[in-house]
Amino acid sequence: MTAYIADLWRLRYFWMALVRNDLRNRYRRSFLGLGWSLAQPLAMTAVLCTVFASVFGVSLREYAPYLLSGLTFWNFISAATIAGCQSFFQGESYIRQHRAPLAMYPLRTTLGAGYHFLVGMGVVLIAVGIFSGFPNPAVLLGLLPALALVFVFAWSLAVCTATLNVLFHDTQHLLEIILQILFYMTPIIYKPDILVHKGLGWTVQFNPFAVFLELVRQPLLAGTWPAASTAWAGVLIAAATVCLAALLLRWCERRLIFFL
Amino acid sequence: MNLIELCDVSLHFHVHRRGREALKDYLLHGLFRRKQNVMEVKALEHIDLAVDEGQRLGIIGANGAGKSTLLKVLAGVYPPTTGTRRVTGRVSSLFDISLGFEPEANGWDNIRYRSYLQGETPRSVNAHMQAIADFSELGEFLDTPVRYYSSGMLVRLAFSVATAIEPEILIIDEVLSAGDHSFQAKARQRMLALISHAQAVVVVSHDLGSLRQLCSRIIWLDHGRVRMSGAAGEVAAAYLAYTQSGEPRAA
Repeated sequence: MTAYIADLWRLRYFWMALVRNDLRNRYRRSFLGLGWSLAQPLAMTAVLCTVFASVFGVSLREYAPYLLSGLTFWNFISAATIAGCQSFFQGESYIRQHRAPLAMYPLRTTLGAGYHFLVGMGVVLIAVGIFSGFPNPAVLLGLLPALALVFVFAWSLAVCTATLNVLFHDTQHLLEIILQILFYMTPIIYKPDILVHKGLGWTVQFNPFAVFLELVRQPLLAGTWPAASTAWAGVLIAAATVCLAALLLRWCERRLIFFL
Repeated sequence: MNLIELCDVSLHFHVHRRGREALKDYLLHGLFRRKQNVMEVKALEHIDLAVDEGQRLGIIGANGAGKSTLLKVLAGVYPPTTGTRRVTGRVSSLFDISLGFEPEANGWDNIRYRSYLQGETPRSVNAHMQAIADFSELGEFLDTPVRYYSSGMLVRLAFSVATAIEPEILIIDEVLSAGDHSFQAKARQRMLALISHAQAVVVVSHDLGSLRQLCSRIIWLDHGRVRMSGAAGEVAAAYLAYTQSGEPRAA
């Protein structure tokens, strides 16, 4: 395991250069550049805010940052897992020539998605500042381990989708459907208490995505540290997915090349 | 000391007849017909091989005998199904080299990516950059995206990067079929220089003449097994006699 990570680190210039290249390609031909990937959650927030404020009478001041942070988080999860699907095929010609840790190919796509996530979180922070004043910097510092945890979680999920996609051609299609379902099961556009009142609290309690979302939102929006139980739940879930990813990678290192 | 050692290595491919399945199908009735989709191909069987420091090993055999597969096992790309592989030293492999470019990036960037994949750092790449560019003779084409390159230009670029640093162990599949005449001559020269400097070399080739010149030892592969192994002249002569005797050859 340590040797594997050391190997991954030894090749850091390779995958970091590819991430830079991916980002550059993505924006080469678009006029708005990075703004384009921010425009989507911003526009969606604007639309939903208008609807919810006028129909349900929610407070815009509170709801806008809540929604924007949720959408930014979810965009990262779905971008990381969907891009992850193609990551082994994308790196196929490298895999065919060089023996190198396979985890770096999902890492490449997850880092690309992670870059947008960070920029998006910056926008959320600005929105929070506009709507309710900047949170305590010390608490914001607590956001960093949460973001790191979310990243590790997304990376290991990307390893899983990448492996499944090599084996089964409909992985990405199924994943998109599952993500759609999970989107509504996770308190992104609504508050968790709505479900709890209806006796559907379990969808939030046993939803790993809700845990990570809570870890990100709490310091940002409420300006307080997340509950220790939530933090531990996040650590445990991330550890579990990392273990799963490690098992899959072990299989991949021996067999993946024969499926490409 | 043996730099390369294969101990009783076998490699069996599992070819999936219908290609990738759908996850839905697999989950619905995978339980009942799991084995049917898989066909086993025995690409290599019980290969024992050792290359000492200073040795140059040639591999010959008909098409489909497993030569390229064996090279990929040596390079670590294919993990053996059974048996063990032990390789000590920095391996540089020259096969499929015209693959593995980022099409949207220009020549310079692709030189970087490939060098990084070979384990280099920005500093060491910068030191080689100009030499690689000069050797490739691509000039101002290096500023355009690799997507616009011809296959010959891709081979030039790939070969220039792959051979920029002298490896300890060199693994070569007949790569130099592309590229124009003058470049081929130049590439051949560099290859000879690399071979003479490397500590161990394994070459696959159909060119018996040059194998006899280059290699001290030759292995003759036939249907994934070692049919003969020994001094270059002997094995080459036996192989030549066999192919000319008109016996049925492997397709």
